Order: sequence, then C-alpha cells, then structure tokens
Amino acid sequence: MTITTTATPTLAEHPSVVTGRSSAWTAYLFLAPFLLVYLIFLVYPLFKGFWISLHDWELVGGYREYIGFLNYEDLWYDPLFWRTVRNTLTFVALTVPAMTVLALALALGVNRHTRTHGVLRGIFFASSVFSVSVVTLVWQMVLNGDRGLIAHFLRSLGMAPVDFLGHSFWAMPSLVVTTLWWAVGLPMALFLAGLQQIPGELYEAAELDNASRWTVLTKITLPAIRRTVMLVVVLQIVLQFQVFGQALLMTQGGPGDRTRTLVQYIYHTAFRDWQVGYASAMALLLFALMFLASMLQLYIGRRED
Amino acid sequence: MSLGAKMQGQSRWFDRVILLVLIGFAVLWLVPVIWIVVMSLKPNDVLMRSTAGFLPIPFTLENYANLLRVSTVPSWLVNSLIVATAMTVLTLVVSSLAGYAFARLDFPGKRIVFVLVLAGLMVPEQAVFIPLHTMFADWGMHNSHAALTMPRVAVPIGVFLMTQFFKAVPRELEEAAELDNASRLTVFWKIMLPLSLPALTTLGLFTFLHAWNDFLWPLVSATETNMYTVTVGLGSIQGNFAQSEGLGSIMASAVFASVPVVLIYLIFQQYIVRGVAMGSTR
Amino acid sequence: MATVVLTDLTKRYGAFQALHGASLRIEDGEFIVFVGPSGCGKSTLLRMIAGLESITSGEIRIDGERVNETLARHRGVSMVFQNYALYPHMTAAENMGFGLSNIGTPKAEIETRVGEAARILRIEPLLKRKPHELSGGQRQRVAIGRAIVRKPKVFLFDEPLSNLDAALRVQMRAELARLHQSIGATMIYVTHDQVEAMTMADRIVIMREGHIEQVGAPLDLYRNPRNLFVAGFLGSPKMNFLDGRVKEVSAGRAMVDIGAATPLAVPVGRAIEPGPVTVGIRPEHLRLAPNGSGELAGRVDVVEQLGNSTLLYIDLGGQTQVVAEEGGECPARLGETVRLAVAPAAAHLFDARGEAVARSVS
Repeated sequence: MTITTTATPTLAEHPSVVTGRSSAWTAYLFLAPFLLVYLIFLVYPLFKGFWISLHDWELVGGYREYIGFLNYEDLWYDPLFWRTVRNTLTFVALTVPAMTVLALALALGVNRHTRTHGVLRGIFFASSVFSVSVVTLVWQMVLNGDRGLIAHFLRSLGMAPVDFLGHSFWAMPSLVVTTLWWAVGLPMALFLAGLQQIPGELYEAAELDNASRWTVLTKITLPAIRRTVMLVVVLQIVLQFQVFGQALLMTQGGPGDRTRTLVQYIYHTAFRDWQVGYASAMALLLFALMFLASMLQLYIGRRED
Repeated sequence: MSLGAKMQGQSRWFDRVILLVLIGFAVLWLVPVIWIVVMSLKPNDVLMRSTAGFLPIPFTLENYANLLRVSTVPSWLVNSLIVATAMTVLTLVVSSLAGYAFARLDFPGKRIVFVLVLAGLMVPEQAVFIPLHTMFADWGMHNSHAALTMPRVAVPIGVFLMTQFFKAVPRELEEAAELDNASRLTVFWKIMLPLSLPALTTLGLFTFLHAWNDFLWPLVSATETNMYTVTVGLGSIQGNFAQSEGLGSIMASAVFASVPVVLIYLIFQQYIVRGVAMGSTR
Repeated sequence: MATVVLTDLTKRYGAFQALHGASLRIEDGEFIVFVGPSGCGKSTLLRMIAGLESITSGEIRIDGERVNETLARHRGVSMVFQNYALYPHMTAAENMGFGLSNIGTPKAEIETRVGEAARILRIEPLLKRKPHELSGGQRQRVAIGRAIVRKPKVFLFDEPLSNLDAALRVQMRAELARLHQSIGATMIYVTHDQVEAMTMADRIVIMREGHIEQVGAPLDLYRNPRNLFVAGFLGSPKMNFLDGRVKEVSAGRAMVDIGAATPLAVPVGRAIEPGPVTVGIRPEHLRLAPNGSGELAGRVDVVEQLGNSTLLYIDLGGQTQVVAEEGGECPARLGETVRLAVAPAAAHLFDARGEAVARSVS
C-alpha cells in the first residue's frame, strides 16, 4: 500500500521489522565469510602496500628501512618512470578511441535479430574469452616479420615484410591492434545492451517522419546511448591503463623501452630488481589515478541520471 | 509509392554493403585463430620450412600426442581447472550469502559496511599484488592452489551483483515464506537461491573465465613450473618462439589450453553476453 | 477459528503516523473488510496483524492471546498477497504445501490437505504446474489454496483481486464469499474497492488517514453514514451534496433551505441549531418530477445510459451538479431543463463539522 511505499522511503531498507529485531546476528553470520576474505586479502594489503611504500624494502633478504616519502620523491626524478607513464598514456590514447568507435560500429552492425547477425556477434565476442598469453601468442605469430601471416601476405603482394614488434614505430600500434582484436567484445556487448533499450517506436516514428539513416543515427541512436558511450570510455581508460601482458609477452617493453608500460615497470621493479618499496609507491600512484577515473565515472553517472 | 519503393531498394542495397563489411571483419577475427589451429595440426619440420597456408597438409596429431605425453601443459591445465573451480565455488558462496544480508537483512552499520565493500571495486589488482606477495611469502604459501585462489575471492563485484539481484526479488515472496513458517536459512536456501540460479550462473561463468585468464597474480605467486596455470605457463614459453623448432607443439599448447574456455563460451554464450548487460546497469 | 481484538493500535514511521489508535473487535468466523482510499492505513493495519510490521503502541490479541511480540510464523495467520507471491520455482502443489513441510508435516498428510484444498478451489488439474504456466485467476486460487492448507486461525487478504480483470473479479468475489461460508473462518480483507466491501463483508471498517471512521454492516453504513467522508465513500455514483441552511426545527423535522421554493422538511433525531448544513441525497433518491412540481430545477448536462438505469448529470446553476438515477427508459434529453423531486425522508444532514445529524430513530 502507498503508506509503506510513498510516505516512508526508508522502510524499504527494513525487512519485516518483527523478525528483523532478532536477525542482526543472522545477518552478521551471512556476511562473515565474505568480510573475512575481504579484510584479509583486500583491505589489509592496501594498507600494507602503503606501509611498504614508505620503506626501502627488498623482496628477498628482509632488508627494510623506513624512509618516509622518499620513494615518492624518487619517482619524480626517475626518467624511466615517466617514460613508462608516457608509453602507457600513448597506448591509452590510441586504444580507447579506436576501441570505442570499433565497438560501436560493430554493435550498430550486428544489432539485428537474424541468425547471421547472431553468429557475427558470437565471433566478435569470442576472442575476449582467450587469455592474454594465448592472444599474444597468436598475434606474435601473425605479426612476425619472417614467418608471420602479414609477412606472407605482404610477400605475396611483392612487398617487403616488416618486423612489426621489433620496429620502433610499429611496435606500439601492434600492441593496440592486438588489444582491439582481443577486447572489443566487451564494449560491443555494452553498446548492444544500450541499443536494445531504445524503444522500437522511436524508429518507427522516425521512419514516418522520413528521416534518413544518417539522421536516425545522429539524432536518435547516438543521443539515446550517450550514457553507454561515457561508460565505455571511462571503463576502457581504467582497463587499458593497466596494460601489462601484451607488452611483457610481445615486445618485452622494447624496442628501446618504447612499449614499456607502467604496470610492467612496477612488476620489474618489484620482482626483477627486488625494489618492493619503490614498486609499491608506483602501484599506489597508479591506484590513485584509477580511483580518480572511477570517481569521474560515478560523477558522470550521477549527472546523467 | 515509387519514392517509397526506391528508398526501400536503396536501404536493401545499403544493408548488403554493411553485411559484407561485417563479414569482412568477422574473417579478420577468425583467420588468426584458424591459422594457429592449422599450424598445430602440421608436423614441426614442415613448419620449419614454411608457416604459410590454411590447410593442415600434411596432417598430423603428433603435436597433441606429444603434448599429453611429455610436456607440462596438462599439469598446468589441471592447476587452472582446480584454481578456477575453487575460485568460482567460493565466490558464489560468499557473494550470495553476503548479497542476501545486504539486500534483505537488517543490522546495525549496514550502510557503512556496504559502502566500504563497494569501495573495494575501485581497488585494482596492481595496488595490492605486491603486499599480497609479501604476505603469502611470510606464510610460506606461494606455489599453492590456495595462494592462487584466495585473493580473487575478495573482489566484491560478486557481492554487488548478488545484492542487486536479491533486492529485485519481490518482498512479498519472503513475507509469504515467513508466514509459511520458513526460517531465514530456509528462505535463503529454498526460495532465494533457486530464484537466483540465472544470476549465479552468470556470476559463476564470469568468475571462472576471469580465474582462467588471470595473469599478474599467478605470474608472481607461482614460481615453480609445475604450479603454473596455463595462462602463465603459455606466457613462459613465448621468448621469440616463432623461430623455434617446435612451432607446431607450441601452437598445439595454445589450442589445448583454450579448449575449456571456448567450450564454456559455446555452451553459455547467451548467459555471458547477458551478463555484460547486467553489469552495465550498475 | 478465532477472535481478533485490536486495542489502541498505532503505527509510526519516523515522523509519519500511519495509524492513530485503532480499536476493533473482530468476532470468530466474521468476514471483515478494511476499506478506504490509498494511504488510509488499511494495509498497514493488516500487516501488523500478520506480524509483518512492528507495533508502535497498542495491543493485538488473537484468540485472547497477546501476539505483539509473536513472530509472524507463530501467529497462526495466513495471508493472500496482492501479487499472489507464489514461489516461481515451485509447482502449485509445492507452493501450497511449503508451509506444512516447514513444520515437518508428514508427506502423506501434506498431500491430503493440498488435495482437499485443491478440490475446494477446483484446481486439481493444475497442481503440477508452475506459477508462470497459470492464468491470473488460477494463480489467485493457488494463493488462496496455500492459505487454506495451513488451517490458520485467521485469513488475511491484501487487495487480492486488484490484479484481475473485471469479469474475473466478480467471479472470484462470489467464490471467496462461498469459501467463507464453507470453512467459516475469521477473514480480514483489505480493499480500496467499495463494491468488494459492500458485497462480501459481514462488517465493513472504513478508514481514512490512519483513523477508523466507521464500523458496521454494509447496509447500515450505506443508510446511516456517520459523516461526510463515509457518506461520500460508499455508493456509486456518489451521494450528492448540496449546501443548505436549517431555518427552524419543529416536531422532529428540520426545515432546510436548499435554494428551492419550499424548504425541505428532513426528519431529525436530535435538536439542531439553525445554521448552515450539508444535505446529502443519494442519486436513487432524486426523481424526475412532472412540470411544476419538484424542489430542484436544472439543465441536463450528461446522460449516461446503462441499460437497466440511466444516470443524469444535472447542472443546478452555479457550481452545483447533481446525479440522478432513473430507470432504463428515461425520456430526459441533453440540454433539457428538468425538475427533480427529493424524498425528504431519504435526505442526510451533516453539520458544519461534517458529522451526520442522526435521523429520526436508528
């Protein structure tokens, strides 16, 4: 009845109050397993990570010395750190727009209820289920300058093959293309979900209004999925900022550190150079950046509502 | 009338062009995979001479036979299966229990606890993998299935999804059950869980796929070859392998390692794609 | 079978008071209907009896026993919900037997009792089906069956017919009345539909804004509404209200000026001061009068022909419009000026506070 729904919005938070009184303990029992795991493996490590970042802390041997914020200060003067930040930003700047446009185009293309379009949807999404090491293996073969698929193709056209992954210009775009191939399924599915929420009457009305396809796209479809576009862009920025496996496995950061990414640098600093304190400082900085991006997403979501 | 017919003709022509472009893209998506599968079915010495061609001629299953006989790949696959299954089961259990508490039970501090749990969604793996590594090192637990499993169970996305799902279940159902003499546990076990089967399936599939494809944490935690997951294991054999003599075997490993996820995808495609939509509404 | 006694029940949600001290005694085997506009507190009251809402103050006794602190499941009540609340993953039979299986009733007995309820409700062929394979009316029966099977002391119904289409609603109304006759249990029924209340109730409880306005048998309430709200709420089309003025009271009759040539002589049971009053006249008590007679005159604004009767909406001049109910063959035409006769004995008087002025005896 309306009393419970309109006049007292807070009531929705309460289950039946009569039984609710006795169920606080029940609730804690229901929560306990997750909270335990959450505190031990997520909350505590986050604080411990900050603690470690205040130390000169070596992975092996137990050498640790409290040095305050010196690690953070060192970051400022570390050219390789800035190099990896720049590489990561370049990767993000290339990947995110391309990914968004490609995903949107594919979603618009396959958004029909025929068997063919269903199969096409399935194919574009399928590559997302492969693990990063399978994807890098596939694309290292495809891009290989000597025995690769593209090399064979170029040779058949009478052109000289290129060693894409070892090439100072082509290495980064190669990682971008690999990433597009691997990950376009998720944003495409998000766009499809957005497109399917547009009421069909809108298109029928537009047809009666003699709207051209272009008009329908720019005046009806795109405005209707504005929110999804923002969601995809922010999500992609956060995701691609964490790029790691592709660079580690395909180019090893080369040639000449041109594709070394931030996460890769963190990984190497901690597990090859054993500088765990310094690596933690970088990791937390990365966290801060991504936290900002998430906040941006929340903010956009709120404003659009 | 004729104008309408003309427009229809145009739009049909337009549709065909779009379909052709789409099929072109689909070929781009498929060709690399087909090529890899074909190579895995060719003898290594043939591949030494040339990797070109899309037909497995001459055909051999030798690469796969070797894989099962001598390589460590099958044991990696077993590790991955154990870790992904354990992670999926644990995630489903803790998420549905906690999700139910957040959605339907009343307890002091509920709001603040929920916000603190949600905040965990913003913590990326990279922010905690180093301290996690030192913790498991202190406990002497690296190179174990437990070490590979536990950190991922702490990711709160499952709790969030289950909370959303349980909130959408009509309250009257629970009230009816209450009048039907059902205890909290009965309500959860006999009403809520059966109702959430589709949500649990989707969450389970995503957890399994994530677990299977997890890279950074297993890379630092599993340092002994026999404790690798397939994802880490396949990464470990990728040093300039294109020139290797065992190209066919490597390709076979990649194909072999992907079989479980591809099967899952083929069977549950609808759940997976719908799951993306579910996640997007948050 | 049980009595339900409510004493001074209140319900408060923060600053909002949903129920202001409701007291009521419901007899064993009675079919009682809570009716009122949405937001009047009727569902809150029902849910408090069920144990689904806590009690702010006051007391509920079922069968003489105080149940304020008793869990819903131990109160011995069962409830039929507005949206049926059937468990979607269970068959009709499982839905009906769930409550019994929770208290460890042997399987065989569950089966007999479910079968028995199914027979009463004529849903035996549907027992193996799941809710989504049932029509709205069938779901409704299963929900009722679930309530019957538990043999509760009190049945609670929360607007159970509001999701059914009109024809089915009429049919289910009759069936619920039949069910009540055959099992004779205490039933409390909540609705916003006064037709349901009038047709089914032994007694009606009319509520408004958290207050019980009046309690009584349907026709009693219809004939002797205690105030303007009850008078206007029961009856369709609504009672007509005219502004009037009592000029004098003599010999048990109030002479009321309603702007007509002759004042209306309304029988009253108590003395009333001369002054403004509201005169209530039900549509069936307004009759077309031959030219020259009748107290009121007006222009026909709308004619609604219902076949067995005709509703005339008549403008009396100014802002006042009244509805008169005539027979099926009514000669009145749109735009025509007609005269209306009022039966003074059927008129209701309400004082300035909206309270009814009691008629002669009652």
